Amino acid sequence: MNRRKFLTAGVALALLGGTARAAGDTREAVAAQVLATWLRLALELVRHTPTYTPPVASRTLAYIGVAAFEAMASGDTSLRSLRGQLNGLTALPDRAAGQGYDAAVILNAVMDLVIHDLFSNTGPTGQHAVQTLTARLAQQAADEVGADVVAASRSYGATLAAAILAWSRKDGGAVVENMGFPATYTLNPAPGHWVPTSKIVLQQAPLLPDWGKNRPFAMPAGDTCTLPAPTEYSEDPSSAFYAEAMEVYTTSQSLTDAQKQIARFWSDDAMLSYTPPGHWVAIMAQVSREKGLDLTAQVEALARMGVAMADAFIGCWQAKFQYDLIRPISYIKKVIDPKWEPLLNTPPFPEYPSGHSTQSAAAAAVLTALFGENYSFTDESPTPDGAPTRSFASFWAAADEAAMSRLYGGIHFMPAITNGQDQGRCIAAYAIALQTRA
Amino acid sequence: MRLLALTLLVSPALAAPALADVEVPRYLNETATAGVSSTYAGDWEFMTGGGVAAFDCSGDGKPELLLAGGTQKATLYRNDSPTGGALKFSALTAGVELDRVTGAYPLDIDSDGIMDLVLLRSGEDVVMRGAGQCQFRRANEAWGFDGRDLWSTAFAATWEKGQTWPTLAIGTYIDRKEEAFPWGSCTPDALYRPKGQGFAAPFDLKPSFCSLSMLFTDWNRSGTPSLRVSNDREYYKGGSEQMWQIAPDAPPALYTAAQGWKPLKIWGMGIASTDVNSDGFPDYFLTSMADSKLQVLAAGPDKATFKDIAFASHAIAQRPYTGGDFRPSTGWHAEFQDVNNDGVQDLIVAKGNVSAMPDFALKDPNNLLLGLADGTFEEAGDRAGVASFAQARGASVVDLNGDGQLDIVVVNRNTGAEVWRNEGASKGHWLQLALHQDGANRDGIGAWIEVRQGDLVQRREITSGGGHAGGQLGWWHFGLGANPAAEVRVIWPDGSASDWAKVAGNGFYDLTKGQAPKAR
Repeated sequence: MNRRKFLTAGVALALLGGTARAAGDTREAVAAQVLATWLRLALELVRHTPTYTPPVASRTLAYIGVAAFEAMASGDTSLRSLRGQLNGLTALPDRAAGQGYDAAVILNAVMDLVIHDLFSNTGPTGQHAVQTLTARLAQQAADEVGADVVAASRSYGATLAAAILAWSRKDGGAVVENMGFPATYTLNPAPGHWVPTSKIVLQQAPLLPDWGKNRPFAMPAGDTCTLPAPTEYSEDPSSAFYAEAMEVYTTSQSLTDAQKQIARFWSDDAMLSYTPPGHWVAIMAQVSREKGLDLTAQVEALARMGVAMADAFIGCWQAKFQYDLIRPISYIKKVIDPKWEPLLNTPPFPEYPSGHSTQSAAAAAVLTALFGENYSFTDESPTPDGAPTRSFASFWAAADEAAMSRLYGGIHFMPAITNGQDQGRCIAAYAIALQTRA
Repeated sequence: MRLLALTLLVSPALAAPALADVEVPRYLNETATAGVSSTYAGDWEFMTGGGVAAFDCSGDGKPELLLAGGTQKATLYRNDSPTGGALKFSALTAGVELDRVTGAYPLDIDSDGIMDLVLLRSGEDVVMRGAGQCQFRRANEAWGFDGRDLWSTAFAATWEKGQTWPTLAIGTYIDRKEEAFPWGSCTPDALYRPKGQGFAAPFDLKPSFCSLSMLFTDWNRSGTPSLRVSNDREYYKGGSEQMWQIAPDAPPALYTAAQGWKPLKIWGMGIASTDVNSDGFPDYFLTSMADSKLQVLAAGPDKATFKDIAFASHAIAQRPYTGGDFRPSTGWHAEFQDVNNDGVQDLIVAKGNVSAMPDFALKDPNNLLLGLADGTFEEAGDRAGVASFAQARGASVVDLNGDGQLDIVVVNRNTGAEVWRNEGASKGHWLQLALHQDGANRDGIGAWIEVRQGDLVQRREITSGGGHAGGQLGWWHFGLGANPAAEVRVIWPDGSASDWAKVAGNGFYDLTKGQAPKAR
């Protein structure tokens, strides 16, 4: 296909904006609507698919981003494919020379197949929704396109999606059993190590203990971005560790309404929200709308964001299970106040570093690289409990707040937050270094 | 508040049965011969629902069964079982043969002494007036009932103070038109209050969060039931479990954090209630996917705060107990009953995958959790013979053959219903009690029955609603353990208490307001 310049800055896109299509839409707008609609569905499926904890969501969003990017890059000479740049992605099919293609049909075919596969375990309502959109968008994407072009485009899209999915199945994260909780797990009995924090049966073992061994996307290995060991464990009131716990405890005792709102706004609980990586994708989509990005810029951002956040969760999980640190609720109840309850539910895995801090820093680093240091925005992402929108002077301001929300929520000590952010910055550099333009 | 004469607040340990060891009842699967052949069929719109109503409409004292059919027609089965014998049913043409029925509850709406029905549907709900001899006629128009065209999935009923007509609550689920993005599209639950001898226009209970079970229950014994609503978190946004204050002549109001209510977000699918910890207040078992909840009152009757004791009580019913499939369970109907007549409430949970969700158990046996003397539960579904792997939805634990032993009927999705007969090997004694009063609310919905054996008092709140998409009305069963007799009394919905009256075990008694118990 000839390279098309999709949507100039004056044409507003509807990323995450719905399925309605106005009469007279351009082919470019059709492609943008296709992407927006599938991405909206993907975020809903993150919220509603049983295994979709934040690490799993980050992985899927990365593959969706890479798939969308490659669908466009395959016919756009201004874009440079990520094959050979991402770990394990050595080969992707090319379009046939001389054959006419339509980007909207290709993009739709790729998104349909990739989302269908990555969310194959979603419930009957999700399956029903995927099937509904498959039928609706296939027709919408192919409208006014010649039958031979539609057929060739769908065929190529299917080939490309199959290659992306084949690549995904070898990363170590493709199979998530028992909701991500191992059927058997031996806790480290030494003081200072993680212990279950709820009476939920599944959560008597930690979530995804081997996730840190997964193949990263852009960074070389899960332990590429190391971080300092956490503060030495101690129950001595004069110790540094006790002081860190007291910081969590005293903060929880004097939370302002604003701090409570911040904690809840960034709570991003699995099964109740888009999760942290989905939250940041929603932010990216909002920025795309605000800036009127063309489609190539959108898929470029989506791929970089996905890669950075997925790598952030791999790096974070590698460290979590390397250090296996106790959560504040366990320590404080044992050492300081047996009746203490944090504002947020404590996630079922080790404490150090903070996942939200690591991945929010990675996301902010990518968005800052793409859109600048001082991009102010009002985050309109849906929150489970309808918390009011929050405004930020920059992506880093948002990431800082997301990180601190874990202290306000009573689920992290400060070193997990600050060192987690450092780890996120380090990991994001690999996603930022990807060459996406020819 | 009206905390009525809670004579002895005994600990679970003190509530131990007189029998030495917990006895596992023996159930015979009589599905093949019982004549109940309904299947709850249908695709997406019928992934929930599949209830069964148990009530006597033939006048012989044995309950008939009405099974929802989804895309197939609902069917009423007449109970032809001989007393103490094999279960026998025959399908009737009763006027209830509607399709798209998701659930059914019996209720004498017009208080004429003939049982009426509420049929929940994926489509217009229908109230049906009993015409006697198990015949029913649509009464939406006659009773001013607006059945709306929604996906109904929950029901509860009460008689508000001073009213001669019941108040109904009907819970609804997803907007069926939102096929691509159904999440967050929960349609309104509704309260149908009386208007003369009929219903006023439905009052939307907003916000609504895709309810799958509702129950009017007097959680703090105030004399005014509240409406508990168990909601499916899969579909709501910003939702949680709910409890509405339903004060007479006042708009419904949700319990708030200031009143002690704590948000709980589960895949709420069914509510069962009984006084598990013998504190005099009802406790609530909530079915869900993976871990179930067992909530007891945490801070006394002045605070609507509940704590979960499912884990400690071994009532979590989290995954199949039969081995081979360690994936989490999916629980639907739940019901407390004493299936082994030992005087301790047991818990039955109907289980089954939503459809073919690979992250949840596909071979998910129904639970039969026997209550133990120490307040915990012990799984006995496989030993008792009721560990079916069909995709269960609704159920009823009810004495089908009049022998004082509780039988079980389970409605399954896309396969036939199952019926088990309790062989009656229990050594425990039992009582079957039916309430009657003149005027409105003839069956005493909202009353409490108390059964006293020495220092021990069993209490049951008489409710209409809860479970999953179906309920029963008629005899209320109590196990007595080794005691051959007990004293009984009723706290009637108006707050008046009958005198204690001694009755012999192993009998059926009519408890009519103002009269001594009468053996039937």
